[in-house]
Order: sequence, then C-alpha cells, then structure tokens
Amino acid sequence: MADSEMGEATLERKLAVYRNLDERFVIREEKYKGQQFSHIYFMRLHHMRSQLQSLIPKWKPHLPVNTVLGLEEGKECIIVGTLYKHMKLKPSILDEYSKERSAIPLVKPHNFMSTDDHLILEDESGRVKLAGPMLAPSAFVTGIVIAVHGKETSEGDFFVEDFLEAGLAPQVDRPLDSREDKFVAFVSGLSVGTNAFNPLQFQLLVDHVTGHLGDENEQRISSKIVQLVIAGNSMHISHGFFSGQTVAPKDHAKLTEPIRELDIFLTQLVAALPVDIMPGCNDPANYSLPQQPLHRCLFAGASAYNTFVSCTNPHHFELDNVQFVGTSGQNIDDLYKYSDAKDKIEFMERTLRWRHLAPTAPNTLGCYPYVDKDPFLIESCPHVYFVGNQEKYETRLLQGPDKQLVRLISIPRFCETGVAVMLNLRNLECHALSFSTNL
Amino acid sequence: MSSGDIKGFYRQKKKNGGVTKPSSSSSSSKKSKSKHYTGGASVGAPNAAQTPALVTRGGAIDLKEEYGDEEEALRQFDMDMKYGPCIGVGRLERWERAAAMGLHPPLHVREVLVGLASGSMACSSKFKCLWEGLV
Repeated sequence: MADSEMGEATLERKLAVYRNLDERFVIREEKYKGQQFSHIYFMRLHHMRSQLQSLIPKWKPHLPVNTVLGLEEGKECIIVGTLYKHMKLKPSILDEYSKERSAIPLVKPHNFMSTDDHLILEDESGRVKLAGPMLAPSAFVTGIVIAVHGKETSEGDFFVEDFLEAGLAPQVDRPLDSREDKFVAFVSGLSVGTNAFNPLQFQLLVDHVTGHLGDENEQRISSKIVQLVIAGNSMHISHGFFSGQTVAPKDHAKLTEPIRELDIFLTQLVAALPVDIMPGCNDPANYSLPQQPLHRCLFAGASAYNTFVSCTNPHHFELDNVQFVGTSGQNIDDLYKYSDAKDKIEFMERTLRWRHLAPTAPNTLGCYPYVDKDPFLIESCPHVYFVGNQEKYETRLLQGPDKQLVRLISIPRFCETGVAVMLNLRNLECHALSFSTNL
Repeated sequence: MSSGDIKGFYRQKKKNGGVTKPSSSSSSSKKSKSKHYTGGASVGAPNAAQTPALVTRGGAIDLKEEYGDEEEALRQFDMDMKYGPCIGVGRLERWERAAAMGLHPPLHVREVLVGLASGSMACSSKFKCLWEGLV
C-alpha cells in the first residue's frame, strides 16, 4: 500500500499459511504405570516390519522370510528385526559396582566405538549375532529395524550377504506453483545467560529480521521472511539448578535473568513476525524426548502475541503445504557418540533412510516409555529436515529413489558462530546469514 | 499308604508346556480341572497350608491354585508374543492396542474382560497381566 502523501511505500511482510503438527509429540493422555521400554520397541518393530515386508518382494522375491527362532543352519533366508549394537566402551551403570577399578577410564571419550563392536538382530522370538563384512558396525546403532539376507552358520551366527533399510518414506508433493520468494529463518544455540552470548550480535539479527536495519533493499528482503524458527538452547540454565534443591535468594537472579533477557528479545521478534521456539538440552524443559513446549509463563512479554508459538522437540509443522521436521540436536548428537559418518548431514540422511528420528532412543537417549506408539517414526518424508545446535552450517539437497526431495539443514550454534540460516520456500535454496560485531 | 491316584500325588505340570504357538480359541474353553498337590511335607495334608510362594498378583493370596477356563484364556492371551509384551500394560489396554494395530485379537478375551468390569464378581486382579507384582 503506498502512502501517497509521503511518497514512500510501506512495505508489508509476506504471509504464509502455518499449520502446527506437534500433536503426536505432546504428552497429554499418557499415564505412567511403571511400564518399561519393551512396548515402544514392540511398536517400532511392528510398524517398521510391515514397511519392510512390502519392500522385500521387490528386493529379493524368491527368498523366505523367517523369524529368528525359525532359522535353520545353512538355509538361505531373510530375517527382519531390531538391531542391537554391543559396545564394550558404552558407559553402563553397572560399572559403578565393578570390582576392577582399573577398567574404568578416567577420561570420558566423546565417542564410544571400538573395533570389538558387533551387531545383533532381535525379534520377538529371539536374537542372533550378525557376522560377515557386509554390515560395518560403525555405521549402525541400536534401535533401527532392518531386513538381512543370509544364512545361519555352524557357530550359530547369521552370516549376512545383503541387507535392506526401509529407505526414504513416500513424500507428499510440494506445491510448485508459488512465484514469489518467501523465506524461513532458522537460528539455534543463542545461549542467553552464558558468557558466550553477545547481546549486540543477537540484536543485529533481531533488527535485520524485523526490518529495522538497512536501506529499502534490505528491508524488502526482510519483508519476505515469513517465519522464524528457534531450534533449541535459547537460554542456558546452569545444570546445578536442576538438582531439585531450593535456590538461595541470592541465586534467584542467576535463574531468572537469562529468561527475562530472552523474553525482551523475543517480544521484539514476535511483534514483527511468527516465531516458533523449541526447547533444547539446556532449556528449562523436561530432559527426555519428546521435550514438551516451554511454558508460557517464562515469556511474560512474548506470550501475549499470537505470533508466539512454543513447540515441542522434535517439531513438525507445515508452511504453505511445505513439510518441516526438525530437532534441537539431541538425536544427531547421540548418533555421533555411537557411530561414525563423514559429517552431521550424513547422520541426518541415515535417520531419514531408517525412517526414525531418534533410533538410539530409549537405549542411550532419554525417551518417554510410550505403550501404544512410537512418535519418532517417520511416516511421510518431510521437505525440509533441520537439526539445531551443531558446530557449523551445512546443507544438502537429498534426492530419494521415488522422486523425494529433502533439504537437510544443520543449524550452527549462534553464540559461537553468529550464523543463522535462511531457506527460500519457493525453491528450497538455502543460504547463511552471518552477523559479526568485530570491526 | 498313598491314595491310588498317582497323578494327584505329583504337582501338575502347566496345561500347555512351555512357550508354544497359541492354540485356537475354541480348544481353551473346555479343559478338565485337575487335582493339585499343595504345600506341606506330608502327603494328604490339608489345603490350608499356604506358602509365601503362592502370594501373587498385587498381594492377594491365591487361595485356589486351580484357575478357571476364563483365567486360562486370559493367560494365553498374555503369553502370546504376537500382541507384544504383557508386563506393564493392563490386559484390556493391551487388547485395545492389538485391535488398533490390526492384529485381530480373540474377541472372547475382550468379552471376558468387559464382562468382568460390569459383573458382580469384579475382581481387579484379572485386569492385570499374569506377571503383575511378581516381576
């Protein structure tokens, strides 16, 4: 709309149709009755097995599918089950009770792999050790469901000749008729409350996104940003406060200052555009996945706006019919501890091919003991898959065998890098926004 | 000396030995009740001697070692691996879950469980799985 008196045009921010799809991650009706994790593994196996069974006829149609208990020595067949990776370096609570004190290393390595790791396949009837060079344990983790083709050996192992992962899930078509550029901004790891947080750097980001920075050209670009996603670790509450002990009055400020500071910034943001905020491992939210939305009472200023949306981790939403799924990083960080890949993007690809957002949950990643579902299963491949709180900005456009197209984004920690990510909804192109306060 | 019934002397084995494939639902409804040997060191001692091993299912003492056909069907449903683990989830909830997954759990099991909920002999221990309180 042009304001003809002044001769200047008022720029209006573009809008996109937003749909929040976090319902499956919200813990509402679930009641904890003392159950263990066998149920979530059962649901996972059942769901993934039916997916694999529809793929096996196209893969190796002439081989029988057996259960583990039904294996016969020397008979070639296919078995489907959950992988368990035995890792001798994986920390175990039982080490505390071990009599051999010298076996416990004093320095905790970031990665628990060793050359002795081996894989075991398990289904309801039993488990069998997997042997052979086809499956390199370093590329797999406990909790994924695959089909393996091979035969039982005389030692009782299953010699693997070939294996099948479910692969990318079917994808809903992305709308291709949009003519205009609309951008989604991603940022994570603000860490308000730590020394690493630079308020001026973050203020630059806020000013740029809200359109208070730069000349008309730059403002025009900012007006095309339709959504901001904050992918976890916006604050850093010292873990000493999580111990459950009463906080002394002199320490109250340390607890509430970061939250208040963040709220001031967020209020500026939500006044300008829709903002989705996700919890991360350092935020005041529950520890196990799925993390529940940060409570509105933490954001007295920002929660007054209807553009403020507090989301779960993992977060699933839709913008103009483009599907977005993302996490604050815990799922990929855990894969990094128990397996090997050339970069974080490769871990992300693997989770898509295994059709599970967090396969190491509940083994090494905290998770709610669901009884009747596994909410981390990926039933439909997203168009954009993002992971927050990583070391650096990385991105790749992944192409699937069934014409799926996924933009993978690794969002770096803003407090360390000053980098945010911009995604164009029209063509899924991605670029970095770098903010620096150094002269 | 001992009574002529040698089968009554020895503790009866489980009706279906070990972990097996589930028998069809019709056969489990008609099963003959057999005599059990209960506790005590001497033959022919009265049934009243109860050992702690017989305390089951949420603390209620299982006064009758014989369990009815209904309980037998419910236990078969518990042990069937096709419907997933039974520990930590109630029988009715597990049945509903199996139905939602499309596994077609036996209808008569649900009838027994729903009948128990509304019947006069509502015994809450029947809603909990076989291993409740034991594991």
